[in-house]
Amino acid sequence: MVKPILKLITVAKEVGVVTRKYPYESPLLTEEFRGKIEIDASICWGCGACVKACPSNALTIRESMDVMELVYFAGRCIFCGRCADVCPTGAIRVTKEFELATDELEDLEQVVIHRKVKCPICGKHFVPQPLEKYVCEKCAKGEIPTYMMVCPECRRKVGVKKMIRCKGG
Amino acid sequence: MRVRPPKALRKSIWVFHLNTGSCNACDIEILDVLTPFMDAERFGVKLVASPRHADVALLTGPITRETLPKVVNALKAMPRPRLVLAIGACAVGGGIWHDSYSVIGGFPRLKKILEENGVIIDRVVYVPGCPARPEAIIYGLAVLIGLLKKKVKKEVKEAGKGEG
Repeated sequence: MVKPILKLITVAKEVGVVTRKYPYESPLLTEEFRGKIEIDASICWGCGACVKACPSNALTIRESMDVMELVYFAGRCIFCGRCADVCPTGAIRVTKEFELATDELEDLEQVVIHRKVKCPICGKHFVPQPLEKYVCEKCAKGEIPTYMMVCPECRRKVGVKKMIRCKGG
Repeated sequence: MRVRPPKALRKSIWVFHLNTGSCNACDIEILDVLTPFMDAERFGVKLVASPRHADVALLTGPITRETLPKVVNALKAMPRPRLVLAIGACAVGGGIWHDSYSVIGGFPRLKKILEENGVIIDRVVYVPGCPARPEAIIYGLAVLIGLLKKKVKKEVKEAGKGEG
């Protein structure tokens, strides 16, 4: 009866205390650990690459008349980090934050609001402002063609008109 | 910072583990919480076999159609105050199954069904993560019983503000 207990005591002495005092000390996090993502609104274009890559639709785009919202709902996120991989600007950063417990679902939301560019011909709002700015910078060095700033529908109409004129209409 | 816990939870809290069709990852993390390594018994947390004895239901999984009546029955059997800790991405918002035909899709939608059946849930704490870390579950429990305050907050940012 005494022998196994003595054996247990020796084993316990060798191992020591293993319990972590977590809420009162730092958690055990490795370097590769992925937690909640953080979107840097000042660099984000609103291109939507992260929305396409997200396997659980935690990142969604909410469209309205003149505003496009990129909504991140951490409650559905599986912390795979794919959005950070595909982000062309590096606006999405994977943090080590995992203490996300809350009693309201609203707290888990992160919203980035993008204002849309207005089309000078029809007055419709189409792409987010930073994305349009980037495309203008990349495609046309120096002068910006007039059809660059119009919405796809108007661009098509303008193009067709031009083509007809070229053919001798 | 310590916050005074609600009256019903000043003593040990007994938990009932309610799997509603999860992939078992969250369940293993719950087991991890109860092992000597993370040792949730420091806070008086004890796993019980019946919902009739439990203060808190540890709910995991996206609540499949098959488990829905059983989940409603189990939560009905719990005494008031009825507290639920929704663990994992599936229980919080449906996870990757959120639009699947065979699941209810997370605790918020279950809550509506429960209300229709006359089952009132007094407090819910959502613990996101896929699976939630043992530390995150302990943090959620601490938030639930009022040992710690929640950290996260809704963030609304305007794009392009940094550049001016």
